[in-house]
Amino acid sequence: MLYNKDMKMPEVFTRKNRILLNELTKTDFKLRYQGSVLGYLWALIRPMLLFGILYLVFAKFLRFGDEIPFYPVYLLTGTVLWSFFTECTNQGIQSLIIRSGLMRKIYFPKWIIVLSATTTALINLGINLLVVVIFALASGVSFSLSWLLVPILVLELYLLSIGLALFLGSINVKYRDIGSIWEVLLQALFYAVPIIYPLSLVVSYNEFAAKILMLNPIAQVIQDIRFSLITPETITGWGIIENIFLKFIPILITIIILAVGILVFKKKSKYFAEEI
Amino acid sequence: MANAKYSVVVKNLNKSFKLPTEKSWGLKQAIFCRLRGIKGYQKQEVLKSISFKVKKGEFLGIVGRNGSGKSTLLKTLSKIYVPDSGNIKINGTIVPFIELGVGFNPELTGRENVYLNGALLGFSNKEMDEMYDEIVDFAELAPFMHQKLKNYSSGMQVRLAFSIAIRARGDILILDEVLAVGDAAFQEKCNKYFEDLKGKQTIILVTHDMENVRRFCDRAILIENGKIVKDDKPSKVADAYFKLFNE
Repeated sequence: MLYNKDMKMPEVFTRKNRILLNELTKTDFKLRYQGSVLGYLWALIRPMLLFGILYLVFAKFLRFGDEIPFYPVYLLTGTVLWSFFTECTNQGIQSLIIRSGLMRKIYFPKWIIVLSATTTALINLGINLLVVVIFALASGVSFSLSWLLVPILVLELYLLSIGLALFLGSINVKYRDIGSIWEVLLQALFYAVPIIYPLSLVVSYNEFAAKILMLNPIAQVIQDIRFSLITPETITGWGIIENIFLKFIPILITIIILAVGILVFKKKSKYFAEEI
Repeated sequence: MANAKYSVVVKNLNKSFKLPTEKSWGLKQAIFCRLRGIKGYQKQEVLKSISFKVKKGEFLGIVGRNGSGKSTLLKTLSKIYVPDSGNIKINGTIVPFIELGVGFNPELTGRENVYLNGALLGFSNKEMDEMYDEIVDFAELAPFMHQKLKNYSSGMQVRLAFSIAIRARGDILILDEVLAVGDAAFQEKCNKYFEDLKGKQTIILVTHDMENVRRFCDRAILIENGKIVKDDKPSKVADAYFKLFNE
């Protein structure tokens, strides 16, 4: 077995890698809420509390969603997906630092670390989406076939998050500033995505601005999930962007970020053990 | 395979590290260095054209002073470091123990840690099931396996880690300075086990204990300043090692 031959190995999910991914994910999952009284419930409580605060401030005091049907479900869906995105990227970036001791002591493909950290976030999202569905049904939304689109959209958001985590995480190994910069950027990004405010508000104010917002893949996924899960009245990028090419920009961005993330990570991960 | 006689063939292996000269890491330093045209690091060559072969079933000792490059060599063999140049051929699976208990987590139980450690070495749960009883028996920790590792004494932790190391079934076992664990009774048990292994398994051992080199190894290598200065019978290499300090 030669080194250079090994690098080109086509099978990514070899048996060995799957075993390790499985075991690391299990450990992550077990340890995440170790020593807390409510334990795993925190995975549910956190997004619900965020939702509760946003709901009070924006729906009750500022009356943001008065003319939107199902605004609370709207808001909940948005916060749950946003929580997933932040958890996924933050955990992905930090996991490489947390597991630095491991990388210095034994060889294994480094992407397993990022993937196991983001898988934990994905499991949390699954549980939270279950709550969203229950909440939606209770609010009078009825089941439709378009619900089946939700997993595909979640996959898109997941791939975008992995791409970002791989890219930012591999730079963060050497330059720890990245983790902090990203947290600030996330704060800014939060307001650039129609989570608390309805997109219809932006459209009525300035349609061009709404179109720009919808080029963001996170906004596209959130609006599309609202569209297919809650009500087809939801305004989506597909609806307001006329240019057929521009309609696909969010998906293109996702693919580019994922590809760049994988390439940069592949190049940098060889030297993680020395640089960390 | 052409080299089936050999477990490990290393040819002209070079490895250097970039050691940062500025005090701390960070974007700021990186940008400053770029602007000032400073490299920001110093190149240190740790391994200089190392070549050696290890026969199947051979027990090889690697000795040398602190900082001579022994551990870097082991880490490069174990694929943790990428070589600058040169060639490493490995026939079979490597089970590396650069440190005992890699990935051990104090919040997990002894049993969970065994399986996690196993996964890091590439063993599936099923394979670990088969090895599990043997590992626990050897470590003499059966009554404690369902307790969290943080409640183990340090001696117990090392015993568990060491038992995984020697019970893990790989073709090539790599050990870095990990022979001296446990109390006298456990030590004796380990020594016996190693003598049994002689000739059956390829082992590469890094140690400072010449007693162990003479007792276990079939051959030894002395490394000084990143170069192999002696590759001979254990007793001769042990003598050369002591000579280093008397010069």
